[in-house]
Amino acid sequence: MSATSARSHGPLRRRPAALAATALSVSAALVLAACSGGADAGTKASDSATPQAGGTLTWGVETEPVTLNPQLNGQDKTKLLLRNAYEQLLARQDDGTYVPWLASAYKVSDDELTYTFTLRDDVTFWDGEKLDAAAVVTNLKQQLNPKYNPYGAAGPLSHLKSATATDDRTVTLVLKEKYAPFLDYVGSLPLISPKSYAKADVQAGGPDIAGTGPFVLTKYVKGQELDFTKNKDYAWAPATAKHQGAAYLDALTYRFLPESSVRLGALQSGQVDVIEGVPGTQAAQFQKNGAFTYQTALNTGTPYSLYFNTLSGPTSDVKVREAFRDAVDLDAVLKSVYAGQRTRAWSAVSPEDPSFYDKSLEGTYGNDKDAANKLLDEAGWTGRDSDGYRTKDGKRLTITDYQSQPYVRDQRDTLLQAIQAQVKQNAGIDFDVQVVDSGVSDEHRAKNDYGTYDNSNTNPDGVDIEYHWLPADKGGFINLSNVTDPQLTTWLTAAQQTTDTAKRAEQYDALQQYVIKEKAYSFPLYEPEDQIAASSKVHGTGFRTYYQLPEGAYDVWLSK
Amino acid sequence: MTSATLTTAPAGDAAAAAREAAPTVPGARGRAWAPTLAAVGRRLVGAVVVLWASVTVAFVALQLAPGSSIDALVPPTQRTPEAVAAVTAEWGLDRPVVQQYVDYLVRLLHGDLGTSYQLHRPVTDVIVSELGPTLQLAAAGLAVALVLAVLLAVSTAGRPWASRIANGIELTIVSVPEFWLGIVLLFVFSFSLGWFPVAGANGIASLVLPATALGLGLVGLVSQVLREGVERSLEQPYALSVRARGVSETALRVRHSLRHASLPVVTLLGWLVGGLLGGVIIVEQVFGRPGIGVVALQAAQGRDLPVVLGVALLSALVYVVVNTVVDLLALVIDPRLRTGAGHDRRARDHGRAAVVGHGRPPGRGPAAGARSPPPDAALGRAARVRGARAAPAGRRVPRAVRLARAA
Repeated sequence: MSATSARSHGPLRRRPAALAATALSVSAALVLAACSGGADAGTKASDSATPQAGGTLTWGVETEPVTLNPQLNGQDKTKLLLRNAYEQLLARQDDGTYVPWLASAYKVSDDELTYTFTLRDDVTFWDGEKLDAAAVVTNLKQQLNPKYNPYGAAGPLSHLKSATATDDRTVTLVLKEKYAPFLDYVGSLPLISPKSYAKADVQAGGPDIAGTGPFVLTKYVKGQELDFTKNKDYAWAPATAKHQGAAYLDALTYRFLPESSVRLGALQSGQVDVIEGVPGTQAAQFQKNGAFTYQTALNTGTPYSLYFNTLSGPTSDVKVREAFRDAVDLDAVLKSVYAGQRTRAWSAVSPEDPSFYDKSLEGTYGNDKDAANKLLDEAGWTGRDSDGYRTKDGKRLTITDYQSQPYVRDQRDTLLQAIQAQVKQNAGIDFDVQVVDSGVSDEHRAKNDYGTYDNSNTNPDGVDIEYHWLPADKGGFINLSNVTDPQLTTWLTAAQQTTDTAKRAEQYDALQQYVIKEKAYSFPLYEPEDQIAASSKVHGTGFRTYYQLPEGAYDVWLSK
Repeated sequence: MTSATLTTAPAGDAAAAAREAAPTVPGARGRAWAPTLAAVGRRLVGAVVVLWASVTVAFVALQLAPGSSIDALVPPTQRTPEAVAAVTAEWGLDRPVVQQYVDYLVRLLHGDLGTSYQLHRPVTDVIVSELGPTLQLAAAGLAVALVLAVLLAVSTAGRPWASRIANGIELTIVSVPEFWLGIVLLFVFSFSLGWFPVAGANGIASLVLPATALGLGLVGLVSQVLREGVERSLEQPYALSVRARGVSETALRVRHSLRHASLPVVTLLGWLVGGLLGGVIIVEQVFGRPGIGVVALQAAQGRDLPVVLGVALLSALVYVVVNTVVDLLALVIDPRLRTGAGHDRRARDHGRAAVVGHGRPPGRGPAAGARSPPPDAALGRAARVRGARAAPAGRRVPRAVRLARAA
């Protein structure tokens, strides 16, 4: 984590090192208004000048939303846009604790089955609708309507038994069984005006779909830009924000600039004020230049890792898996590919996660050429072919990775090529990296015909651990190692059924030691991050607390 | 439009040929419309076949491509059996493929292109809203290509050194990918000089760089073909007589040679439009412009079948329209083509030779290359260029044409 602060040039993002106790405290009615006194103190160091209202900001972004409906959009990279317009019941501080937003308080019953939310009484959507309990219930029920949201019923709401508007300001949710990640889901569901569900274009989203945010979505030009204007009536910022009341900026434009060199050039020539998405090799020009600020934040969830196919091929042998990772000097590879701008990953969880990251794994494996060769000899890969690759029974030791083209970003193709060179040179492994379209990659996965599968994911709060390590038919949607080990399910179930963070961490730590070190099911490479580079006249940019993706423009202001 | 041009045409200088091809019958005046109507009818039937074929090929290609629409539509972390079932039912993907195809065609006949899987909007809306910026870009790109090509060709034809230099420049530009060209233009004229905005479709200024990037990629080929044509026509006896009248060299080139040289270029338009359609995808991406190219790219990546089919249909329609325009333009440029329904094979072959532009029909006056190819022989002008493969070996083919073929 210190690597992050060392290379950050602009305002730093730091999360308090200490963990707050539990995410929600059982049976206690947590009236959270008390927390609203001030934003996370250590978060924004600089920006001491007095904010000034007014002005228009232009922000160059890499990814265009497929849909502007915040409830249906699953693209992490476009959340920073939609955040300006759509809001949620609770905000999370960096330590994972919840603070009020559109809900002024919430309560979880002793048995962790009943969740009660008390709403603020002054919140309205841009279309004039009031945010009341009925509106929240409508939003939740619509997620279960397969015509509106085909995925809703299968997600965390599958644990929901009933949702009721007890009175004008109180929403009561009853679960069928305990489910720890439920509060995060309900607390972070972006709410839209109930009237919006009747619009023909509700699934496509856009200016018709009203939210409660500090900015009103006014115009969308597909392939070009998304425009917002200030919501003058806004007065319900969460405690995690740096100010209260209306936003500083009068208007806001996001330009879609998918090419990184074009984005960078647009910022340097002053045609846009802020950009996100800076390649590692280009970061220095903003870090070392007083005309710009440069910030980064590691993503949440799981690092970019190689998941070994444990069901078929050479990687079903643990010795081969261990040999592969021992054959790589990953620090050197990352340094050369990313000019030292990326953080190495060691565990199954992002180093950004203060609760569940298992720091004790750091430095305990890898970069041991002799061990790699010894393991492969033991595994019977003792022959050598004319190209210098190891063989067994005349068959070459080939491990194939089908890199899905739409997910090749952040020079990940180069990264895998560098690893390819290392495992060949150090251990005679043929790491065959093929960049293919997503259909081909999906097909190889369906047929279990691959050696490794590369992936990163950003769901926080242990959800990603479940996705990767539960059996595929029990919620392990991206169980890319094809592991069905019952031991993993035992740990994960125990973690799922308690809301005590420390107890969950125990289970997750045990799991990480097992899947990374003992069994070498996966080989974590680096932790993806988000970057924000801005002209020095722009103040108040940053990352959303806890979730870490770039924050919207509510706190942003321009110096004259 | 077609009929007007065709009926007035035989009155021109090739009336003799027309008589030869269609022997005069008493009362033929009333029936003069018949061949024209037949030509129009053939053209319409051809258009429908082209549209149907393009949709079908796109449909089959998407079915044969690895992976499934469901995989593209349902995010991996939400791929429960329930979610997959809901999405499958929502888009009717549980129907047999043949039925999906027939249903699509039936809806198509009613003018319904379906709804985008990804965007949740009617495909017609998506295409209509994105068409404007793309047409602007394509038209501007074509204009850049033609203007630059004419300037290059007319000023350098028949001047060995200038020709050689221009040739080198043209081949260099032809070999540069539009992507890279776009980035270089942006760095020089937008990021460094600040003359033009980086992105978007906000007026003329934002069109200059993308249109230049798009057009430059096509200049090379057009000017090579044009220069050959101008050079050839400058060798004709008529050029000598024009010069003898004291007409200036520039006027000779612009007023006379250009007209002769432009016919092969017009027949290249089909190819050019193909280049434009491919180019806009890249150029829109680099310059952050809205348009069909961006939509097509996203749809192909996300296996958004209705949008892919809609774009395929649109592209086919553009080809049909362009080829019709090309044929009409050819009639306007070269009066010798307006000879009506002469279907003799020899004439057709001469027409091809003239289009390829490197052979003189035997036994004819030097400039009489393109005598009476029938109007519908011009169908599929792009294929005409490919027809040049059959041209006898040893004839000079512009290098850019060869490059284009190799690609």
